[in-house]
Amino acid sequence: MKRSFKDDFNMLAMLLIPIGVAVNLVGFQVANVLKLPIFLDTIGTILIGVVAGPWVALLAGLITNLINAIFNPIYLPYALTSIAIGLGAGYLSKFGMFKQIGKVIISGIIITFIAVIVSAPITVLVFGGATGNTSAIITATFLAAGQELWTAVFSSSFITEVADKVVSVLIVYFIVKSMSDRYLSKMNYGELYMKRKQR
Amino acid sequence: MKLNPILNLHPLTKLYFSLFVTISVIIIPSYIFAFTWFPILLVIAIIAGVGKQYLDIVVKALVLLLGIVFIMQLFFYPGDQVIGEWWIFEATKEGLQYGLVLTSRVLAMGSAFILFFRITEIRDFVKALEDLGMPPMGAYIVLSTLQIIPEMRRQAHTIMEAQKTRGVETEGSLLIRAKAFIPILTPLILSSIASTEERAITLESRAFSAPTKKTSLHKLKRSNSDRTIPIVLLILMISLIIWRFFL
Repeated sequence: MKRSFKDDFNMLAMLLIPIGVAVNLVGFQVANVLKLPIFLDTIGTILIGVVAGPWVALLAGLITNLINAIFNPIYLPYALTSIAIGLGAGYLSKFGMFKQIGKVIISGIIITFIAVIVSAPITVLVFGGATGNTSAIITATFLAAGQELWTAVFSSSFITEVADKVVSVLIVYFIVKSMSDRYLSKMNYGELYMKRKQR
Repeated sequence: MKLNPILNLHPLTKLYFSLFVTISVIIIPSYIFAFTWFPILLVIAIIAGVGKQYLDIVVKALVLLLGIVFIMQLFFYPGDQVIGEWWIFEATKEGLQYGLVLTSRVLAMGSAFILFFRITEIRDFVKALEDLGMPPMGAYIVLSTLQIIPEMRRQAHTIMEAQKTRGVETEGSLLIRAKAFIPILTPLILSSIASTEERAITLESRAFSAPTKKTSLHKLKRSNSDRTIPIVLLILMISLIIWRFFL
């Protein structure tokens, strides 16, 4: 399956971006309403990565953070994290890492690493180690226990991210499974997930 | 037509100003300089007639963050000169210094960014980007995203109520609440995705992807100040850089 860069941007894929961004925001809100301890604010980005490829997911991640930043500029530097998650999910999907549940969990862990590696330097360099969320308390605990700032930020964000990302990819896996073949056949990477195999 | 001198500026002029604030606080390391930006930005917001909502958003978005950032630096930034103690933590002079520098920067950049979106209509901003060469598809995506978000919020609420009536529990232990997430999100996503096909047909039937030059009903004007302000900002920026690094 060989695709050029431009093939990824067909109209249906582009129209998926607003949906993905809204799913990110609404998912976060529903998780809040249900008082879940995780954010679930990247489901849309990962979903787009899986069915429409890395480049469309990159745009979705970028737009999500730009729109969040209108009301809360803290999100702006973390646009890089969203972009990386989108790219990561797209490439994992390309290599068939979203096909079986075991591989999906591994993908979740890989995406966690991507998110942590990109977001920890932003947290340290832009905000000096802590923003206003729960991981700030964990970071402070690690620092008080005598750890270095970088290790403290890396380990605290890993702890808060890993459950979030693994649950997110599992949700994406189940949603892609319940998509119709008719729709999947129109998406760039949908072919990988169709129930009826091509003859 | 609004006659406010600030609201009437071209979106790019406003963007240049926000970027100028952001870059200037990186060039000048003094926290007094960075803190002065906030009152200036507030005055601009008041002249533009958005003072109250501007202050509201700044307080909501930044105060808690700045507090946490400041406390982290105060207690954990490496330094020797202890100025105070609390429980097992020690506050150092270096920490105080760095905490002030960092918070002043975040405040200046954050509030400049918030101000930009208070005084700029997103529609105008997207149009300005389109004039700079962004494809019309990009403009459509940004604007339709803004439209879809409240729509999907309403829909999520409806689905949640509907699932509750059918017996999906949304309260109780963590596991029960977590289980409720899937029956809420799945129908929401699948139904929204089904609607993208209709959108695609609608757009195509209006020749959206036809390879011709598009005309727009919405036009942006450049006034004299839109020509002079960017030049003034550029000169100021260059003199700041010269003053900081060469004098």
